[in-house]
Amino acid sequence: MDLQNQQRVVDAAEKYGAENVIVLLGSSDAGGAEIYAETVAAGDPTFAGPLAGVSLGLPVYHVFDETIKAEVDPATWEEQLAMMEMVLDTGKLSTAVEGMREKHSKYKL
Amino acid sequence: MSKLEGKKLILLGERDGVPGPAMEACFAGTGAEVVFSATECFV
Repeated sequence: MDLQNQQRVVDAAEKYGAENVIVLLGSSDAGGAEIYAETVAAGDPTFAGPLAGVSLGLPVYHVFDETIKAEVDPATWEEQLAMMEMVLDTGKLSTAVEGMREKHSKYKL
Repeated sequence: MSKLEGKKLILLGERDGVPGPAMEACFAGTGAEVVFSATECFV
């Protein structure tokens, strides 16, 4: 994850409290989604950025997770996300993020 | 009540997946506040 964005994640967690923050990912591949999820929940696995060794435990979901989809207005979903939903392997993406969430997130929705 | 009501959202989009602005549009009406949104790309 971009180092600047890692810092913004740290700042948001400090400002609002980790229990109030939710991270949503729009990654296109499961491997990448897993690394993002690990970074915001357990810390930067590459030890390069501000989240290195910082385990925020943030709840993290892929935007295609059914729990998240259920919260969005269906017409807006259709307009903004339906196309990519058809193209990407949404089940694999959600499961990849779920695995990291179950392991490292201290808070859930 | 929405599960996202009152939550602070961090949206980490991807250019080849779902970009940040598309997610922002989706969560505008959920009662959650988007605290930041980004779109990264892998090249």
